[in-house]
Amino acid sequence: MLLAYSFLAPAFIIIGLFGLFPLAFAAYESTLRGLNKIVGSYDGLGNYVKAVDNLIYIVTFWIAVGLIYFAVSTIARAVQEHRQEQTNAMRWALPATLTAAGTALFARFIFVLLPEMLLIPSKLRGQNNTQEAFRSLVVETWWLPKVQVALWIAVVLLAGGVVWGLFVNRTVARDSREPIYFVPFFSAGISLVSAAALIWLTWTEINAAYAGALEEGVGLELWSQIVTISAGFLLLLLAWRLWESAGLRSSNTGMAMRLVGAVALMAGAWVLIAELPRVVSAGDEDWWNGLMATVFYVLGTVPIQLGLALILAALLFQKIRGQTLFRVLYFLPYVAPFVGTAAVFRIIFSNRPTAPLNSLLDLFGAEPLLWLSEPAGIIQMITGGRIDLGPILSGPSLALVAIMIYGIWTYVGFDTVIFLAGLGAIPNELYEVADIDGAGGWAQFRHVTLPLLSPTIYFLSLYAVIGTFKAFNHIFVLRQAAALGTTDTASIVIFQAFKRDTRYGYASALAILLLLIIMVITLVNNRIASRRVFYG
Amino acid sequence: MASGAVGAGAFRARLADPAARRAAINQGVIYVVLIVGAAASILPFLYTVSVSLMNLTEATGGRALPATPQWSNYVEAWQDAQFSLYFMNSVKITLISVGGALVFCALAAYAFAQMEFPGKTFLFTLLLSTLMLPEAITWVPNFITVSWLGRISPVPWLNNWPSLTIPFMASAFGIFLLRQFFQQIPRELWDSAQIDGSGHLRYLVRVVLPLSSAAVMTLVLFGFVGAWNALAWPILVTTTPDWRPISYGLLSFLDEAGALLHLQMAGAIITMLPIVVLYFFTQRHFIEGIATTGLKG
Amino acid sequence: MNTNRMWMLAAVMVAALVLAACPAPAAQAPAAMEEEAPAEAPMDTGPCAPAADGPLAGIDPRGQTIVWWHQHSGSREEKLAVIVEDFNTNNECGIVLDAQNQGGYNDIRDKVNASTASGEQPASLIVGYQNDQAFYQLNEVLADFDKFIDDPTWGLSAEERDDFFASFIEQGVHPVFDSQRLGFPPNRSMEVLYYNQTWLEELGFDGPPSTPAEFEEMACAAAEANGDGTGGYILRDDASATASWTFALGGDVLNEDNTGYVYNGQATIDAMTMLKRMLDNGCAYFFTEGYPNPEFAARRASFTQGSSSGLPFYANDMVTIAEEQGRDMDVWGVTAIPHTTENPVQNIYGADVMITAGPPEQELAAWLFIKWFTSPEVQARWVEASNYFPTRAGTEAHLTGYVEENPQYGEALALLGYGAYEPQLISYQAVRDAAETAFNEIMQGADIQATLDALTETANELQEELMGEVQ
Repeated sequence: MLLAYSFLAPAFIIIGLFGLFPLAFAAYESTLRGLNKIVGSYDGLGNYVKAVDNLIYIVTFWIAVGLIYFAVSTIARAVQEHRQEQTNAMRWALPATLTAAGTALFARFIFVLLPEMLLIPSKLRGQNNTQEAFRSLVVETWWLPKVQVALWIAVVLLAGGVVWGLFVNRTVARDSREPIYFVPFFSAGISLVSAAALIWLTWTEINAAYAGALEEGVGLELWSQIVTISAGFLLLLLAWRLWESAGLRSSNTGMAMRLVGAVALMAGAWVLIAELPRVVSAGDEDWWNGLMATVFYVLGTVPIQLGLALILAALLFQKIRGQTLFRVLYFLPYVAPFVGTAAVFRIIFSNRPTAPLNSLLDLFGAEPLLWLSEPAGIIQMITGGRIDLGPILSGPSLALVAIMIYGIWTYVGFDTVIFLAGLGAIPNELYEVADIDGAGGWAQFRHVTLPLLSPTIYFLSLYAVIGTFKAFNHIFVLRQAAALGTTDTASIVIFQAFKRDTRYGYASALAILLLLIIMVITLVNNRIASRRVFYG
Repeated sequence: MASGAVGAGAFRARLADPAARRAAINQGVIYVVLIVGAAASILPFLYTVSVSLMNLTEATGGRALPATPQWSNYVEAWQDAQFSLYFMNSVKITLISVGGALVFCALAAYAFAQMEFPGKTFLFTLLLSTLMLPEAITWVPNFITVSWLGRISPVPWLNNWPSLTIPFMASAFGIFLLRQFFQQIPRELWDSAQIDGSGHLRYLVRVVLPLSSAAVMTLVLFGFVGAWNALAWPILVTTTPDWRPISYGLLSFLDEAGALLHLQMAGAIITMLPIVVLYFFTQRHFIEGIATTGLKG
Repeated sequence: MNTNRMWMLAAVMVAALVLAACPAPAAQAPAAMEEEAPAEAPMDTGPCAPAADGPLAGIDPRGQTIVWWHQHSGSREEKLAVIVEDFNTNNECGIVLDAQNQGGYNDIRDKVNASTASGEQPASLIVGYQNDQAFYQLNEVLADFDKFIDDPTWGLSAEERDDFFASFIEQGVHPVFDSQRLGFPPNRSMEVLYYNQTWLEELGFDGPPSTPAEFEEMACAAAEANGDGTGGYILRDDASATASWTFALGGDVLNEDNTGYVYNGQATIDAMTMLKRMLDNGCAYFFTEGYPNPEFAARRASFTQGSSSGLPFYANDMVTIAEEQGRDMDVWGVTAIPHTTENPVQNIYGADVMITAGPPEQELAAWLFIKWFTSPEVQARWVEASNYFPTRAGTEAHLTGYVEENPQYGEALALLGYGAYEPQLISYQAVRDAAETAFNEIMQGADIQATLDALTETANELQEELMGEVQ
């Protein structure tokens, strides 16, 4: 166990500094307001409300509910085992809870220390900005009473919990081989604490919002919104559960359940479609449009990119002539610097009638298109634009589609190389066996290659979804004002808020919202994948 | 894998056999798909090359090919962009960060794939969550970290190799990628390694890494490409040319070249050439995995 | 045994990381101590000696090393290096200036903001636009130039000060920040119309247009001559272009007390109406693949609009393309944006230099460089090297030979007196993007009045929102 941690240590020190610290930083910043201010004034959920309006209360509420559900089910499972197998799970409850409380307090300590530390630069300004001054300020901050108090409370609780846990562990080791219940109780504790913190935050914020509304003499439809949107999500959840369990039942019951599930799905979706935009449109319009563009971008790139790469990799893995050449060719787009390829794609997708793609259209007798300068949605364009389909149904703008093509073009090579590595890890012997069994090319692919490649497919699909959700460079270099903002994905909106406007708090809040979305999708992806991924 | 490459003579002889004919058709389809795909990925690129050899009139006239290739564009781009100055910096930065990434990611990935410890799922989720923050947000906090680490360490970090390499020595991408491959290695190998008296580290170096050489090489390759093309972060943490990478040379050259598309393209191609050459000569290793070691089974 | 080796490796790696992060030995401290010479003798009268009285009394700029973050690259950077070298060898204070390119304006901005956030000292001298100054000063990063300009020993004399074009030097004054002078103008550029004289003559015109009507007629004639959608004027969707047209037609994009935006004035509406008509009639077109200068040089555009800082690039492309096509180079020039006002009203812009707050000796040394750099002789050298415009009248006397060799530059220089300025409000960066989008909406057929009304509203909302976050 210690060895495992020491294997992880170097990587986690670096990732802690350059991956987790920015996360904590963004979480902290997202509660502040102020222009070009690292330590702005506290604003609670204000930035989130600005971005998505009342939806944030609903989101925090449901995250809290989820955490509580998780905690309760974890404890329930332990208790059940405790009854059935006569194990003594309960003695782990107290030390684990204590440790959880200590950990939570330690997190609080970090958020007590962080602002004080981040204030140091502003104290350095103006005076002699020397190494010594910096160091003495750091030391001074560290010894601030409130920092020390927060630290020691956390340390005492943590140490107490851990020591108690080790003590229990020793008594266990002596008498039986029963499982250690420390982790479930610990994570249940942490979840409960986080849920409590979230609920408290949301509650104070909602009260403040009501007080503000009362003062201004306007009504707040907060509660009705919470109820309707929650109902919509619950229906979706129900539909999913029904659909899932339908697969396990006999065909008749299964059919019935699917039917009910479909009804629930439609009802839930209808409630959400009717209500969500109304709530969200009260937030930041740019952000809402950005999210929509992001979803289009993800849906339009990931499946195509991965599908193409898989086909190409499977073909490239055959023993064919010019293998080396093909492999290099497919890889070129990924290696080429953005600045070069973006300039070429600007020419290819130019609105000029004599530009490469427009010349091609001309060859088929079609009218030239505006490509990167076209803000109209493609479905809108295909249907002739006679009916106004609204922002969602008219699809991504042609400009965004052109950028998607550029993205796919670049990343197919990347995906192909990883798929090739995955194919390389499949033992040849398996194919030889399949050959002897008389399995044809497709059968081999379906029954040998795909299952054995599933870890790679899982990896790439997860990585591609995360990557495209925050895709930036490709979009930024090709976006044109003529596309009227239809190519501005969430990451572009965040970039502008952070860099152009230096609204650190607001940009961080947007980033956290994006992170939550990616996280939910990753969790769903994981649930689906956990059943399908097969490790040799 | 079933059908090997067929020589032209054997090809004709086997056409009579229906099974062989089907194989030949299959081969044909494969080639058609590959060539179409290659054309799609290479055409924009060939256009880059073509423009890089044009003169200004041609480059702005929307022509497909130059009348006479202007090789001098490359000379001009090389000199104007001072690539020779930044080339070595990029090599150094790349080697240090890729080397570090290899060691640290392999260790962590091994722990995640082959060892049991409390909090494994939690740590892995934490790891993945670091991937989910948009880059624009991470620059300021990471600059603070680098600046402060520089103030308390004997080596300055800003304007020096640590800020350019250490943040990239462990990536969630690398750990996740290697974990996926390490996980596929059968447990029996570990059992027999233990019987031979081998510990975890030795098992990792002697068995796991060779078996996953494809993944390891892939990690190295992407580390290379990433370090080579990185731009925003290096500009932020360097103020003098001492440690600036080749991508900075390209950027400042593009500023200067302005509207001169042909020179821009020449510069872009010079920048990417080293990686292409590297990949060309090493690509064989990216797909040689278990098949050649014969260890599995 | 293997476990041992494993542990050793792990330990070494952890140690390496800890080592990289452990406190530095205080080795530098003694060296720094030695450099601090004992207090000077009370009567120090050498060149560049500290002032005996005044607000800057006793501050010694001698021997300071000053870093300057700028955005000049390529040949401008090389020529700047020569001028800086001259300063370093010849200034009597022994100040050493280290001029460092940091990428573009945005890169410098990111760098200054990141430095501010982390407590790093940014360079003593930085380049940036006026709205950047406002952003920086939210964190009190900048020093006030007035304390140097007004200083009896180190400052500018009344004549020197009056030599600067008042409008340029006043651009760096920020009423929001107690009217501190946060920027100082080393050079300027302006929005101009590039025209192809030879082509215009071939079409039967005498010279460049001075009114919008003439301009439209000429562009349409050239477009007709080309007959393939090119030939006319290349539309520019940048907010600076919109502002320029508004100025030239007698309007403004700022309200009267300079606190908000007015994009829906009659001048803007007229300008948009004309440009949209030109686009519809084929007299103007969009070129989205890069800078417009090669299009202009290849005779696909008779007019383009842009910053005068593009002059050397235009000159270069004109020569190259004429050579490649084996013809005589067209005579070309720059002129004021076609105007309905009696005199031209030109949009003049350009980055300032700023001094960052730091040790007083550094600040003073930085100012002494700026003072030298903007003195007429040096400014003339810099202006010749960079093709920017001078910021003081006295520089022109040193430029006569250069103007003769570069007639286009002379044409533009003559317009320097007709300046108008774009907003310097803190939201202007964001508003520029909104204005660019609005321009495109109009050109794609949106109703002009409604779009400009909406833009004005959006712009003022942005301003309000950003000011709402200023504490």
